Amino acid sequence: MTPQLSWYLALSAMLFTIGVVGVLIKRNVISMFMCIELMLNAVNLTFVAFSSFFHDVSGQLFVFIVMTVAAAEAAVGLGIIITIFRNRESLDVDDASVLKL
Amino acid sequence: MSLIALQATNPDINLTLIAPELIIGIAGVLVMMIDAFARRGQRWLTGGLSIVALIAAGGASIWLGAGWRGARSAFNGMIVLDDLRLSFTLIFVVVSILTILIAAAWIDIEKLPAGEFHALLLFATCGMMLMASAGDLVIVFLGLEILSIATYVMAGFRRTDVRSNESSLKYFILGSFASAFLLYGIALIYGATATATLPGTTNIATIAGRLNHSLYPPLLLAGAAMLLVGFGFKIATAPFHVWTPDVYEGAPTPVTAFMAAGPKAAGFASFMRVFVFGFPIATAAASTAGYTHKSWLGTLAIMAALTMSVGNIVAIVQNNVKRMLAYSSIAHAGYALVGFVAAGAATDAEQRSAALTSVAFYLLTYAVMNMGAFAIVTLIARGNDRRTAVEDYNGIGFLSPVLAFSLSLFLLSLLGMPLTAGFMGKVMVFTTAVRQGYLWLVVIGVLNTAVSAYYYLRLIIVMFFRERNTPWDAPRLPVSVALALVITIAGVFYLGLFPGRVLNAFGAHPSISLSIR
Repeated sequence: MTPQLSWYLALSAMLFTIGVVGVLIKRNVISMFMCIELMLNAVNLTFVAFSSFFHDVSGQLFVFIVMTVAAAEAAVGLGIIITIFRNRESLDVDDASVLKL
Repeated sequence: MSLIALQATNPDINLTLIAPELIIGIAGVLVMMIDAFARRGQRWLTGGLSIVALIAAGGASIWLGAGWRGARSAFNGMIVLDDLRLSFTLIFVVVSILTILIAAAWIDIEKLPAGEFHALLLFATCGMMLMASAGDLVIVFLGLEILSIATYVMAGFRRTDVRSNESSLKYFILGSFASAFLLYGIALIYGATATATLPGTTNIATIAGRLNHSLYPPLLLAGAAMLLVGFGFKIATAPFHVWTPDVYEGAPTPVTAFMAAGPKAAGFASFMRVFVFGFPIATAAASTAGYTHKSWLGTLAIMAALTMSVGNIVAIVQNNVKRMLAYSSIAHAGYALVGFVAAGAATDAEQRSAALTSVAFYLLTYAVMNMGAFAIVTLIARGNDRRTAVEDYNGIGFLSPVLAFSLSLFLLSLLGMPLTAGFMGKVMVFTTAVRQGYLWLVVIGVLNTAVSAYYYLRLIIVMFFRERNTPWDAPRLPVSVALALVITIAGVFYLGLFPGRVLNAFGAHPSISLSIR
């Protein structure tokens, strides 16, 4: 049995869902951030799967752009997380409640 | 395959067409260099250079529009040139110039690094311009990220303040969350637009042509839904608006002013481009294209009604002025969505262009009056954003008449008083919606305007008719903020009394043609 396109799509949809659920239920900022990275990588898997299935290179180029953006986002995000940790010594989002929701 | 080979040999580079973006990008790098080498006394250079660059970019885009010769798209359809792009580019230029003026005094008081702020602002502007000029989902995503990453940092610019940290963190987490949704939408669209012979595409104009040949129509719908969620987060529509009040309240006030006007307009530019042109109205309602169009239009109409109502009703109970203006900005996004819905429903190109113009005009009027209101809130808040509660405005009407009267003018304009910009903007948006048969949406909009009178007028009453018990030290009016106030007050009256010129300029070339490749 050769791998089908739908297998890859199902896997990436599952990874994406795990990421979404993780962002919603995790209380630690670093874990939430990792879940967001998981969502981005699930998208990358979708792109690569389509790209290889169509024999078209543009999907893989998109993956490079996404990876670059994710790296930039990680740099800024970790910077923000370090600042907030310096000011309050906690990474629990429930403590970040000066501004009421 | 031949198509790919053709693209490889002909990269279709046209630097003229991205002149505004290039100017802003280069200026951003220069500002960083100057900031690194300048002595303490020369820090004003960065602000001056930024304003010059923004004016140059505005000039370049007017020149692009006036000349209107040469290619309408470049880089193989990645960048397009049309009314939508030009009008939004001008809005971004206005917003960024006003932000620099408002922030000048604030940076001094807070002793923040001015060069970094200006560089980030320029990069954010570059991202917004790319979002408006994108002809391809790749550029939409890139522009969005350039904008978002710069704005995350700006929101947390007061590094030692816990509120600013928190605002930045929330914006970052929810912004990246939304970007991931948007990206998944793009990936699904890329897969769903493949036909039996051609690979998938992310070009917006090509997507429109492929809708009825899609091999996987359900993927197409799922992709469009993901895009809707992603953009919905970015422009803060209900039910994706929950982050807005927190982020807007915690961010430094000039940054809040920028976020409410600039990135929101940029989100609208891309949102409209992708949905109005990528999933256009179809002649056959039973086809995949027709079904997709009907689904997003219906969802968007409901979101518009919800956004207007939630924004206005929750704004009533707010006791913090920044938070109140945050909910008001949600409500205004709802009014602009009414025009968007009309643009989506328009059957011929002329009416569609009129609806798009009305949304651009609405966002321009909102930018002007909102920046004016926030300029005064910045002044009254003083260092550290200390005074932002409604009680802090008690009885200042006759103690600081200049501030109080101009703030009242902006509030009345936000409310939509005749003779002001806000009124003209609402009239334009609602007229196009009525023309497309969305009477119920307009009725909800008008009812919401009546609701919003409560909280806008309450602040005016507090300022003029309530006793002040605490001492009031009137804030000094710095030259830069005075200039910003003159520009915004003139803008409010000009757009309210003589909207014709701007509307003509925004809709100068009604036949928006995106057929490329």
